[in-house]
Amino acid sequence: MKIAYKHLIEKIETNPCIDEISNKFFQLGHEHEIENKIFDMELTPNRGDCLSLNGILRDLNLFYKTNISDEIYKHKIKPLKINFKNNVKNKCSKISFLKIEIDELPTKYDSTLEGYFEELNITKNNFFTDISNYISYETGQPTHCYDYTKLDNEMTLSLIDEDLNFQTLIDKTIRLSKGDMVFLSKDNKPINLAGIIGGKKTSCNKNTNTVLVECAYFDPEVIIGKATKYAINSDAAYKFERNTDANCHDYALRRFLKIVENNAKIKNVEIYSEDHLNVKERKIKIEVDNVNKVLGTKISKKEFDYLLERLGFNVESKFIQIPSYRNDVKTINDISEEIARAIGYNNIKPKSFNITLNNKIDKDSNETNIANYLIDNGFSEVINNPFVREQTSDSIKVDNPLDSNRKFLRTSLKESLINNLLYNERRQQESLKFFETADLYTTSHENNKRVLGIIASGRVDKNYVDFSKMIDEDYLISMLSKYIQSLNVTTIPRETVKSKSKNAIVYAEIELIEIKECDYISKSPKINIDEKFYSRISEFPSSSRDLSFSISDPKKLHILEDYILNLSHELLKEVYIFDYYNNTKTNVVKIGVRFIFQSKESTITDNEVNRIINNIIKNAISIDSVTIPGLA
Amino acid sequence: MSHSKDFKPPKISKSKGTHHPINLMKNHLMEILVNLGFEIVSGPEIETEEFNFDMLNIKKSHPARQMHDTFYVNNKTNVLRTHTSPVQIRGMLEKKPPLAFISGGKVYRKDDDATHLPMFHQVEGIYVDENVSFSNLKDLIYKILHNLFGQEIEVRFRPSYFPFTEPSAEVDILSDDGKWLEILGCGIVNPIVLENCSIDSKKFSGFAFGLGIERIAMLKYKVTDIRDFYKSNLDFLSQFK
Repeated sequence: MKIAYKHLIEKIETNPCIDEISNKFFQLGHEHEIENKIFDMELTPNRGDCLSLNGILRDLNLFYKTNISDEIYKHKIKPLKINFKNNVKNKCSKISFLKIEIDELPTKYDSTLEGYFEELNITKNNFFTDISNYISYETGQPTHCYDYTKLDNEMTLSLIDEDLNFQTLIDKTIRLSKGDMVFLSKDNKPINLAGIIGGKKTSCNKNTNTVLVECAYFDPEVIIGKATKYAINSDAAYKFERNTDANCHDYALRRFLKIVENNAKIKNVEIYSEDHLNVKERKIKIEVDNVNKVLGTKISKKEFDYLLERLGFNVESKFIQIPSYRNDVKTINDISEEIARAIGYNNIKPKSFNITLNNKIDKDSNETNIANYLIDNGFSEVINNPFVREQTSDSIKVDNPLDSNRKFLRTSLKESLINNLLYNERRQQESLKFFETADLYTTSHENNKRVLGIIASGRVDKNYVDFSKMIDEDYLISMLSKYIQSLNVTTIPRETVKSKSKNAIVYAEIELIEIKECDYISKSPKINIDEKFYSRISEFPSSSRDLSFSISDPKKLHILEDYILNLSHELLKEVYIFDYYNNTKTNVVKIGVRFIFQSKESTITDNEVNRIINNIIKNAISIDSVTIPGLA
Repeated sequence: MSHSKDFKPPKISKSKGTHHPINLMKNHLMEILVNLGFEIVSGPEIETEEFNFDMLNIKKSHPARQMHDTFYVNNKTNVLRTHTSPVQIRGMLEKKPPLAFISGGKVYRKDDDATHLPMFHQVEGIYVDENVSFSNLKDLIYKILHNLFGQEIEVRFRPSYFPFTEPSAEVDILSDDGKWLEILGCGIVNPIVLENCSIDSKKFSGFAFGLGIERIAMLKYKVTDIRDFYKSNLDFLSQFK
């Protein structure tokens, strides 16, 4: 909801600056953004009473002297004879129809009405609809205008008992559902989707000079979700959903008339009203001590009374009278929130306390230990969402999936983990090891199954002992045999996955309860999350170069090793020794080193790689006894 | 002259994997809270509407219950939990106060864009005892945020609205670039919720709080797109070793 700063300060005596009001809004809990001196308010759904200029001013009255008593039409209004039948008095418990006939349509608007359109940059529509929109902005009460000449003086409000087509006033035809609350014409045709949008057939236009203004109180429950369902952007629905003030109708309609009177000569006014709401005064017992107990404060009764009265509550000797527009205030906790907002949440001092319960701490669970074991063996943990394409015999179906192609909950982690593996394989990763722990839900189990899934492919590791070994079923079984004896490892046939690689993909899945006690304690230092900062990853392909070094002086091997493994360059992604050979006959060792290059900005070129490699070679062979066989 | 026996082979470097950064952050938060005296409880991701909404004072008409916000399963008889709060309801039904629970895990909402995902993670906590106040809640929130972001972090409490807490608050921290960033929601447990769990709200009061793990992880690790957490890119994951 947009509120113009100009309109606010016109009604605040002290003329506060926009930043000051912005700070007050935050104290009151009214999130907003400011653009061109317009507040775009994001109010919490319980504060329907603040969805208007006057509503916001009522809250600001806590800090400033505000003036929201605008001029209203004070003349007596004659009764209107209309054949209206309300079949849903429990859902529309209060309704009025105001018939207004004017002499001549105005050619220009007075400053109040014109100022609304100018400040908020809103397009005008027609005279009566413009006033209706303004009244909604000023008072928060939506009204609907019918062109009186298009009505047949007979109208029914009902829940329709069959689906019906309805052409809205914005020319959009929607199919109303059975049970929708609709105003129907004499011939049982929908003329207004109650509380949401009116119909084309009875809408006002630029020539309308006799209008029937409908002003109603609708139960929010019957309005909620309808505008979304029919994809209609409706200010009225937004307000009715959040509840309106059932007691403001007389004021809102007389204010409507005053705006008409300020812009045109009224020829005739008539009103029809019915009230089945029987609004009783709502009162809450004054319990200052309880409020202090909820908040942990020491507010005096005097301050308590003052703050509530500034917010529009009437504090009597034993009770607080709740204003009719505050539908959200029902309990002493609600009053506590009002007091907390008034003094400012940030002004409530923290009070230390200790939880002295003897709660059990289970730090080293089986799940944690097995995860640490896998991580220390090079496996990375992944998390996948549970929505999958494939249905199995015991899949649970999502009734309203986000993607209709993924409407089942997975019954195995396999599909997700294969996708994780292939995604990384396409990114030239040589050693792929992943695991996931998740709850699985199926129709065949009443409760969830907590499952561990493990997938691996490629080289066992990137060091000179494991580089030449390829991951297979035996690798996974032997690696896990210490903790999981009955692991069913399978090789996923390459032809079942879209992939060019021929490396075996091995997969295992096991319910965690089947894993016997895992006592593995990781010796790796604990991760300090304060030191972890994400660095943008490359979306471009990498390029690798292998070099073979000969070293004849044992002391120089480790100088070379240190040099190579500590190389740093923005284009050098990874370095590792993949081969080591000690020739006992010649007393020379050879090491094979793989350099992987990648740019974050573009596909890396041979020239870029060559420049770095040449520099590495130059520095490496400058170490005494280090040579590169075959180097010219 | 050197001899082949004199060569000491290069170090065998074994690659280490990594915990998922979201689980790292979740475990870190849980550890902070366990050290403050909270007990970890867990519950199912498929929930009844009763536990996910009704017991938490979320009325049938609340927008969150609409099909466009909540995933329904089993012919609309159950939901994928939209928050971890139902776990606390189960905990309160099982134990009598005083009690202090935390629960962490996956939750589901029908969203999918650069800042929202259909699946994300929360850690929520509840403490119920005699004379638990909003000022106690503030003390705990400061402890959590100082632990996460350092003692110097500036914190702001704003009034908000959650059906299960009253008063309710949202908490912001001041970022390096001078912007306030929403970090968590909290409040005094609505007495209706306590009564729903057969806890005498005249005698006991409590506070509850909930943090979105992805949000905190993005701030801590300086990740700008939430979707990066779930691409399973090894280059991304390996940064959290």
